Parts: sequence; structure tokens; C-alpha cells
Amino acid sequence: MHLLKRIPWRRWNRALHRDIGYLAAGLTVLYAISGLAINHMADWNPNYRVVQAWREVGPLPGDLPEEELTRLLLARLKVAEQPRASFQPDQDTLDVFMKQGKYSADLPTGRVLYEAVQPRPVLYAFNRLHINAPKQAWTYLADLYALGLLTLGITGLFILRGPNGITGRGAWLTAIGCAVPLLYWVWWAFLR
Amino acid sequence: MKLFRTLVLILIPALLGATGPIHYGKPFTVKEETRISDILASPETFAGKKVKVRGVVTNVCAERGCFLNLKGDRKFQELQFKVDDGVIVFPADALGKVAVAEGVISLKVISEQEQKDMCPIEAKALNRKFDPAKIKGPMKIVRLDGLGADLIN
Repeated sequence: MHLLKRIPWRRWNRALHRDIGYLAAGLTVLYAISGLAINHMADWNPNYRVVQAWREVGPLPGDLPEEELTRLLLARLKVAEQPRASFQPDQDTLDVFMKQGKYSADLPTGRVLYEAVQPRPVLYAFNRLHINAPKQAWTYLADLYALGLLTLGITGLFILRGPNGITGRGAWLTAIGCAVPLLYWVWWAFLR
Repeated sequence: MKLFRTLVLILIPALLGATGPIHYGKPFTVKEETRISDILASPETFAGKKVKVRGVVTNVCAERGCFLNLKGDRKFQELQFKVDDGVIVFPADALGKVAVAEGVISLKVISEQEQKDMCPIEAKALNRKFDPAKIKGPMKIVRLDGLGADLIN
């Protein structure tokens, strides 16, 4: 006890909390924004914006070889760009892949759907980093960030003394914060 | 001027390298490529075996980047290359590029309920005419459980 009093651990704790907090601020914003976006994946695509447009080019002969059919479709669409590739998933459909999107033609009716998938500015990058798409060095940087958050959580408990500290109001709030995931898990895993 | 020349000499090979194949996931271990048409002709023979295939990417999961559909070497054929969420994340601009993919062939029968519970995007990628209201009986699927892939520009 005497030794603990001699070491200015509260000062070190505050300094650690402050400096890790500064270092982690940028990534916390990134993970929080991306977390909100990814959490609602069922309702929207957080990575890409899908642009769709319909065109009518008249019926196309399904008995032509795929390459000729592709040329004919692009000619009717007045598209001069060379396609990346094409694919016929069935007798009535032709997909033509361009650099920026895809034409999907219904051959008997000649209705063509153009779809282009465009990455959402900023959010795409945030989400890719959040789910660790780059792998390699980012794995370790994200590990460091997680350790930083852990340190922030622990040091944060001991910033204040007195009635608002961990021995007073802080204890209740910390208990509530821990109880929420625990109770939710018990309900979700065993009671519902 | 010297600095400029040095930068050009460094940047040009780097940019040329950027147009080469991009590898995702584990390194390849299978040397010979198998034709998709051979796999689809007798999936039972290939079930559980590790194979490497090549094909144009005809579909990619734009939500999680967790699957690619590869065009077969015969008309109307495609094979899905599926990875667990987050293990490999394919970009949506993979569409129309050539992919070389290695994985294990899986042969599954998906019950009606499993089809209803499936991610609708994945279900649609397995069957373009998928409509949850029109599910009738179990569905047999042949899939490549993905380990690694090269995307070639």
C-alpha cells in the first residue's frame, strides 16, 4: 500500500489514457462510422452504389454465337468500347461485361438492363479497412488499435477519484455497461 | 533530372506490375487446371477434391465480396467460388475479369428451409430465377469452397 502511494500511477494512467486517446481518435471515428454502415447491411449496400438504366434495342436472335450476339447488342446500343467478356447464363439472356458495368439483355424482348457498381466515396475505404480486406500489415495495425482500445477502457476507469470515480457512480455505470451485453446474450442464447 | 529519371525507373515497373494478377487468399497448391465442364458433368467424382479452375467472373457478391461465379468452358455453365465472409473480400469490379481459383468441390443438397434462410444475393447467384415464394423441394448445388484466387486484369 505504501509502495502504491509512492508510485504516481494515477498520473501515468491519465497520461496513457490521454495519449492513446489522441492516437486512437482517427481510427475510432473510422470504425464507428463504418460500424454503423455495416450494421445495417440488410437495408442497403454500404460499399457500392448501384446505378441502373433500362434500354430497348428490339428482339435479338438467340441462335447466334455468343461473340456475334455481343457485337450485335453493342452495335444496337451504339457502344464503341470493347467489352471485357460476355456470358449467356441461359438461352434468353446475354450478359456483356464492360470496364465500368454490365449490360444484361433479355434476347426475346430486347430489353437491356445496364448496371454499374460504383464504390461509395470514403465509406468504401472505411468499410474495407474495418473488415480487414487488405490483410497483411493492416491486421497488425488493427490489432494494435484493439489493444489501444482495451487500454483506454481500463485506464478510463481510474481517471477520476471520489464519488464520481470507480468506487462511486462510476461503479454503477460500469456495471450497467457490462450487464447490457451479458443480459442480451443470456436472453438471445437461452431464453428466446 | 536524375531524381526524375530514378522515379520513372521505379514507377514504370511498379505500374506495369499493378496490371498483373492480384492474388487473394492462400497460395495455390494444385498445378493442373480442371475444366469447369468436367466438374459439372460428374460432380460426384470431384466432390471433396481440391481443384484449380479458370473462368471469366460472371457475378460477384457486391455486399460482402464473398463469392465469384465463374463462366464454364461450355455454354450456359457457371461455377460458384465461395469463401467464408471476410476471409477473402473480392472487389465488385472483378466482374468480367478472368479468375483462376483453387478450392475444394462441394456437393450439397439444400433443403427448402435452408433456401429460404439463405442470403438472397447468394441464392440469386446460384439460381438467377430464384424467388423465395416459388421454392419447391430441395436444391442440389455444386460449388467450389474457395481457398485462393488470382484475378487477372
